[in-house]
Amino acid sequence: MIDRIPSGFNPFVIPFLVGMGFVFAYCIYALVKILLQLSFEDRKKFFLSLVNPKTAAKNIRDMFCDCLFHVKLWKRNPLLGYMHSSIAFGWFMLIVLGHIEVILFVPTRINLFYYPIFFNFFVAEADQTMKGSLLFFMMDFFLLVVLSGIALAMVKRVRSRLFGMRRTARPSLVNTIGLYALWAIFPLRLLAETFTAHISGGSFLTGPANWIFRQFLGNDLHYLPTWWAYSIVLGIFMCVLPFSRYMHIPAEMLLIPMRNAGLKIRNARKGLTRVQVFTCPNCGVCIDACPMSVSKENIKDCTVYLTRQIRRGNEKRIAEISDKCLLCGKCEALCQVGVQGPEIRIQQRAIRDYSIRQDFSDIAVNEVRKSHVVYFSGCMSQLVPSVGRSVESVLKKAGVEVEWMDRDGGLCCGRPMLTAGKTEEARSLVAKNTEMILSSGADTLVVSCPICYRMFVENYALPGVRVVHYSVYFDELVKAGRLHLTKSDLCYVYHDPCELGRGCGIYDEPRRLVGQSAAIAESDRCRKESICCGGSLGSLSLTFRQREKITRAALENLYASKADAIATACPLCKATLSRFSDRPVRDIAEIIDLQSR
Amino acid sequence: MKNIVIIGGGVAGMEAARQLLALGYTPIIVEKANALGGHVASWYRLFPDMTPASEIISRLKKEIAPANVFTGTKVISISREKGDYSLTLDNGVSILAGAVLFATGFKVFDASKKEEYGYGVYDRVITNRDLEAWLSGGEDKRISAPKAIGFVHCVGSRDLKAGNSQCSKVCCTTAIKQAIEMKEKFPKAEIYCFYMDLRLFGKKYEDFYINAQRDFGVHFIRGRVSEVGETIDGRLQVKAEDTLSGKPLKVQVDNLVLMSGMVCNQSVSELVRQARLDIDDDGFLRSRNNIFDILESNRPGIFYAGACTGTKTVPETLAEARAAALEIHNYLQNG
Repeated sequence: MIDRIPSGFNPFVIPFLVGMGFVFAYCIYALVKILLQLSFEDRKKFFLSLVNPKTAAKNIRDMFCDCLFHVKLWKRNPLLGYMHSSIAFGWFMLIVLGHIEVILFVPTRINLFYYPIFFNFFVAEADQTMKGSLLFFMMDFFLLVVLSGIALAMVKRVRSRLFGMRRTARPSLVNTIGLYALWAIFPLRLLAETFTAHISGGSFLTGPANWIFRQFLGNDLHYLPTWWAYSIVLGIFMCVLPFSRYMHIPAEMLLIPMRNAGLKIRNARKGLTRVQVFTCPNCGVCIDACPMSVSKENIKDCTVYLTRQIRRGNEKRIAEISDKCLLCGKCEALCQVGVQGPEIRIQQRAIRDYSIRQDFSDIAVNEVRKSHVVYFSGCMSQLVPSVGRSVESVLKKAGVEVEWMDRDGGLCCGRPMLTAGKTEEARSLVAKNTEMILSSGADTLVVSCPICYRMFVENYALPGVRVVHYSVYFDELVKAGRLHLTKSDLCYVYHDPCELGRGCGIYDEPRRLVGQSAAIAESDRCRKESICCGGSLGSLSLTFRQREKITRAALENLYASKADAIATACPLCKATLSRFSDRPVRDIAEIIDLQSR
Repeated sequence: MKNIVIIGGGVAGMEAARQLLALGYTPIIVEKANALGGHVASWYRLFPDMTPASEIISRLKKEIAPANVFTGTKVISISREKGDYSLTLDNGVSILAGAVLFATGFKVFDASKKEEYGYGVYDRVITNRDLEAWLSGGEDKRISAPKAIGFVHCVGSRDLKAGNSQCSKVCCTTAIKQAIEMKEKFPKAEIYCFYMDLRLFGKKYEDFYINAQRDFGVHFIRGRVSEVGETIDGRLQVKAEDTLSGKPLKVQVDNLVLMSGMVCNQSVSELVRQARLDIDDDGFLRSRNNIFDILESNRPGIFYAGACTGTKTVPETLAEARAAALEIHNYLQNG
């Protein structure tokens, strides 16, 4: 293998160099800006995590699994997984192998970083070696892999259902340019390498193709324009990259270490939020995931459009999208790159200027009697009284002495304020409740409403107090033999409440309780894919008619299991579902109360 | 002469049958319950003159004796056949009808769906219908010498959360009537009505309301009930807001009566689908026009009367039934 062009340069590499330089400069600028936007503590945490061997290893593993192999996509749909990983990993291998070729055959050129990309243009094959043909074979092989991915991507444009996606995001103009440039890169590379294969050598793909073309192309005049075209589309792709969804390629490499460092979203636009906005690949998985998309009018309120509008700075739409969301968390649970749609929305609500501020400072604090176990039912369990009564009755049967701290009215846990972006108001409620709970001297706080439970877990500091959802507590009582369950003839399907399942990761204990007191069936979409009941307090602007559609969709999913009745572990889900359900909806506490001695 | 089938044997169906008999037809009434009379038959007295409901029902029953009546029978299919309708009943009878009258009425809202009011959870929470049954002489252990009684207006009516935006029209005045009746039975009891606003649109309804305040001392509190709890001795604690004084309040009562509203009758939805009739947003049948053609459906030969197209009082229903009989007569004469 010899260097064919003495200067090691041809003007056709200029578009590529321009694009590459631009992307590099932009990414460095963005990286510095984002790091400066982080708070001092977060920045310190981030840098420390980079040198921690454990997180560093996790970062590398995650980058390979998520960015190159797209393991999550494979699990979701193998065809979708193959399409993404073939392009990502194939392209990665082409770049790596290109560098190996340069190091092996023309080591003096390694400082020219366009060389690995356009290697086949600059070299001539002097002698055939095993080493050379193996590398050429691998180059052709990975090019074929990428081309197969591109072909699938083209099919996906017209037939997304084959890839398990009912709906995809509508591409914006800049995304369309990026998409067509990306599609053009690899066929042009194939053509360019084919045309020079008789000079630089080729393998099973470029070799025979070169022979075919040479049968009717009389001269070599066409190969330089093809390399030009290849370089130009690369340049175009890189120039639009920072403004298109393809920004997710570099951004994800920053998001992964930030996530592993344990950073949280703290600002409406800056820092981690900006990284997540950049990382959104506009795949549109969140559109099918979103319970609101049962109504066509709400499709443009999914997370993919939120990130797009934040990039555009369209304040009106950002506000609309942020307010409408139920905060059910399903888009976040299914997101391939980990964009935290609900958290980003809450931050948008928090920067709004509310003209009226609620003042809770003069609300009296209830005296809570001293007790080891304190029960907090929350507003929703008061509005759905069967839940509170059943929890109390079950605890009594198990011989647990309990003090019901808000039986005659109590204070809100603060989560509705928090999700509405009224952080200060939420904080004052948290302070009052904390005072009440700590004064009781309790070591266990049993909570029946998943909304309150999540609030207690995430936003309260209660030293020495174990906060537990009643489903977990009852499960422990059964295991300890303090509660004896008998099985009824009914078959229940369990509806996962958003805040309990996706919010707090409690999926198994409620199922175990239902399974011990009745037959249990599963719906198609359960656990982290469960559909919000539509009653969520998270949405500030959904109308009741729109909510009704969501409720009916959630019910259809539950009906498909052919169960006689629906079980859930959230008073709000119970109230919402039972309004439109054709079969009984019961809280697990009620079922346990009926089936226990 | 062509057959006329009336689906539903409540006051609408019976009154239409009575008028059709007077016009010389012999209509066929198909009623799914075992007796004629519908919701009105389960009522004790009717506002504003305290007319016994049984008086209306027995009079109607007597006058429609010549009609063909199938009780305990449902229409299981309906289809268009050359300008006529072919109906099949679940007793095996099939009828070819020149005109069909839907007098399928409404359903009473299931109050247990508003669990915050405690129906089905707390023993002493009852509905307007439970109270009528008790007033008619039925047994009800839940009611025993109450010292205080609360009435909650608009349960499942004007409530988008419950999926019903419509006003049920009759509950305001029914609550006043029942409050007076309870006061007559238990003169020492305190009676509270919790309302959003009072819609007393009909003749003598306003007088009836003033009467309840002045002569019976019923307390009217403007504000919705937020939640209901139970005290240790089994009484009910009602939390509400008095929006006139702007203060939250708590009242203990022995019985709480929920004024369950009228909602669409979904049990006819299969029939409606077969006949290809239009449904309104509120689930009730859609009239061709809400001013001029209230009694006409989107299909020729199918007519409506009464609460199947929306909530109505008894006199309104009777008036519609009479008009529907005339519409059917004109249709058969000209058609």
